[in-house]
Amino acid sequence: MSTVNIDKILMRVQKPTRYSGGELNSVIKNPADVKIRYAFAFPDTYEVGMSHLGMKILYHCLNLRPDTWCERVFAPWVDMEEEMRKEHIPLFSVESRTPVREFDFLGVTLQYEMCYTNVLNMLDLAGIPLLSRDRGEDDPFVNAGGPCAYNPEPLAEIFDFFTMGEGEEVIGELMDAYNEWKAEGGKRMDYLKKIAKIEGIYVPCLYDVEYNEDGTLRSMTPNCPEAKPRVRKRIVENLDEIVYPDKFIVPFMDIVHDRASLEVFRGCIRGCRFCQAGMIYRPIREKSPERLLDDAKKLLASTGYEEISLSSLSTSDYTRFEELADKLLDITEKEKVGLSLPSLRVDNFGLSLMERVQKVRKSGLTFAPEAGSQRMRDVINKNVTEEDLMRSVDLAFAGGWLTVKLYFMIGLPYEEDGDIAGIARLAEKVAERYYASDKTNKRRAPSVNISVAGFVPKPFTPFQWAAQNDMDTLRRKQLLLKDEIHNRHVKYSYHQSDISVLEGVFARGDRRLNKVLVRAFELGCRLDGWSECFDMDRWRRAFADCGVDMAFYTRERSYDELFPWDFVDIGVTKDFMMKENERAKAAVTTPHCRLKCSGCGAASLCAGGRCSVYTEESSLRRIKELKENG
Amino acid sequence: MADERILYDYYIIYEKTDNAKYISHLDFVRAYNRTMRRVGLPVAFSEGFNPHPLLSFALPLSVGYTSGCELLELRLAEEVAEEDIRDRLNAAAPRGIRILSVRRGKSRMKNLRYALYTVTPESMPESVDGFMDMDKIIIDKKTKSGVKDTDVRPDIREIRLLPGKIEMVLSAGSDRNLKPDVVMKAMNKYIPGYDSGDCEYHRTAIYDGEMKTIE
Repeated sequence: MSTVNIDKILMRVQKPTRYSGGELNSVIKNPADVKIRYAFAFPDTYEVGMSHLGMKILYHCLNLRPDTWCERVFAPWVDMEEEMRKEHIPLFSVESRTPVREFDFLGVTLQYEMCYTNVLNMLDLAGIPLLSRDRGEDDPFVNAGGPCAYNPEPLAEIFDFFTMGEGEEVIGELMDAYNEWKAEGGKRMDYLKKIAKIEGIYVPCLYDVEYNEDGTLRSMTPNCPEAKPRVRKRIVENLDEIVYPDKFIVPFMDIVHDRASLEVFRGCIRGCRFCQAGMIYRPIREKSPERLLDDAKKLLASTGYEEISLSSLSTSDYTRFEELADKLLDITEKEKVGLSLPSLRVDNFGLSLMERVQKVRKSGLTFAPEAGSQRMRDVINKNVTEEDLMRSVDLAFAGGWLTVKLYFMIGLPYEEDGDIAGIARLAEKVAERYYASDKTNKRRAPSVNISVAGFVPKPFTPFQWAAQNDMDTLRRKQLLLKDEIHNRHVKYSYHQSDISVLEGVFARGDRRLNKVLVRAFELGCRLDGWSECFDMDRWRRAFADCGVDMAFYTRERSYDELFPWDFVDIGVTKDFMMKENERAKAAVTTPHCRLKCSGCGAASLCAGGRCSVYTEESSLRRIKELKENG
Repeated sequence: MADERILYDYYIIYEKTDNAKYISHLDFVRAYNRTMRRVGLPVAFSEGFNPHPLLSFALPLSVGYTSGCELLELRLAEEVAEEDIRDRLNAAAPRGIRILSVRRGKSRMKNLRYALYTVTPESMPESVDGFMDMDKIIIDKKTKSGVKDTDVRPDIREIRLLPGKIEMVLSAGSDRNLKPDVVMKAMNKYIPGYDSGDCEYHRTAIYDGEMKTIE
């Protein structure tokens, strides 16, 4: 193994601590003591990747093994890439500055579609062939996981294998299999066939795909006995029993989320019909407050962080939320540590808690009604009413908050122009509440910031059959909304519509997009999530050069169509999602998991086929708590 | 409102070398605050709306520079033995940061007037006599209001050529300040035929107006 010398080029780039390493709690091992070198890559810049919780968890899991050293790799920023290419410095790991090509594994976490070209650019910088079939015996196994891996097909020719679902357990199985395979003296393909038998592992080259004349998928068939016809995602059933990092790496530079975070639960009870995370992470599994308080104490002691946050899809849905928040605040107030609570819902937001949380600094409050009209909120199953929102806003304004941020989507299925105007009406009503209240200071002015994203239909959601609005339609709707806003306290911002469309193409894409990605990379696309780097004209050319039509991927789909991602079993059934789509058409809502089980299928992933939401133990616990609180 | 708490003043000299040279001043302040929390030193916080730890640095160090004479003052809410502070911080500090001394009381950082830098260029100039004899040395220098042509001659007190190294004594402090990379840029511009190549910069000492070392 060799190392690269980057001292000279670090003096010439912005923010050198993106690359220089040596951060507190980063893991250094003696290469002679380990058998497996694992490079964990986040395909975006350091400050984005270092904010990601999943990477911290898997880094910790792998480094707990005495036989494995896991190191981090990030996408270099434009200036660093230029210096690296000029000086012929290959992509290297942060910890030991070892070229990535010399590792045994390169694992990539796929968090959003717009990072796909970064993966190619990183492979190229590393000197690793872009396509799986071109890699030789000495190349690392290039693999991926994360939410985008649930539809792996647009990257099927690039990665050697994918992991579906939660990685804590399966990553150890993969390392054990590697040791066995090494001892057996096998070839590259032997390892891939060996792990194809592990639940949750997908090896794309072991499957053949055929298409119908209209371009839709006809079949996807294993071409060897090791490959399973369906790949079932992995989950960890008991979150109290799994490892969680007691140390986070503390970066020197300011990263996006620079704080300790506690994962309070996985999954979501809500079932919003647009939300992929709400489906793929099911069923809901909570950590106990006791375990979380223990995690919190350890993390604060090992990092010195001045802020701790609770992480989940909907924090206030945590069963013992008040109890946890109270006990955490006892710790944070004593240690002068801030507590941040993202992802609170409008319908169960309590002010006394928020006041205690934000005693020191009143930052803005964020709510996500997602749609402007009640009809549309019923279509998407948001289960939030205008009254819920107004009640929360009243509480916030009366409590001294001046800024309220509201998230919305446009381009949703079954949407009419009136629903878009409804966003403006709702935002204006929120602003008016400030002046209607007798508890607000009228010498100051409220600010209602609405942030509007273009809807992207995602696989494994009830809207996976829906058409996505094209760029012109999205642009028309964005301007329509702009014209509808007449209140000067309402500030409106929206996302680039061409990015939403590309996201949609790759989200519901198939294997034929691999060549488009490679072409886009050749044309210079990378860092597409950064507006200063994104260039839609290059993407258009890439699609044209490959003879691939974007509209094929954004079209409405029929119930009998076989999807490229149908071979992945996430627990939640296609049948459930169809029923939910039908209810959406009729604007009928579905109650959340704690009110009534809708039989989504996720319970089949748990031992005994029962979701923890309905276990006797959790219900009894809940009843006891309710009694205690009167 | 006057701060009426009883607080304990200390000052610390530390070195910043190796990988730590890439940490910017602001990032270093943040890392330092977190280190203080981790080692459990009773840091005193400012009173008011947004409490922050009470500490001040003599002279921020540019990204990429190393130093053997960094000075900072801090206030604690309780008295702690000097060696104890030093040992606890050294046990927790990132690679490249080493605490050299901890003393009670206030430092003389207010008197800071000059700093001594040691520059290691790829190639040495034959002489700096002509350069030092210039009436004015005009160079574009970053100031608060953008890049401006500035005469830096008054802020160069001395330049000495050593084997493979250049030592320079330059104005330092909030009043007048000159960084050695600007001087190197001027030497490349005004010494005929001179090309320094890439340079390493090290702050060796800080002085008061009488050139007495502040330590």
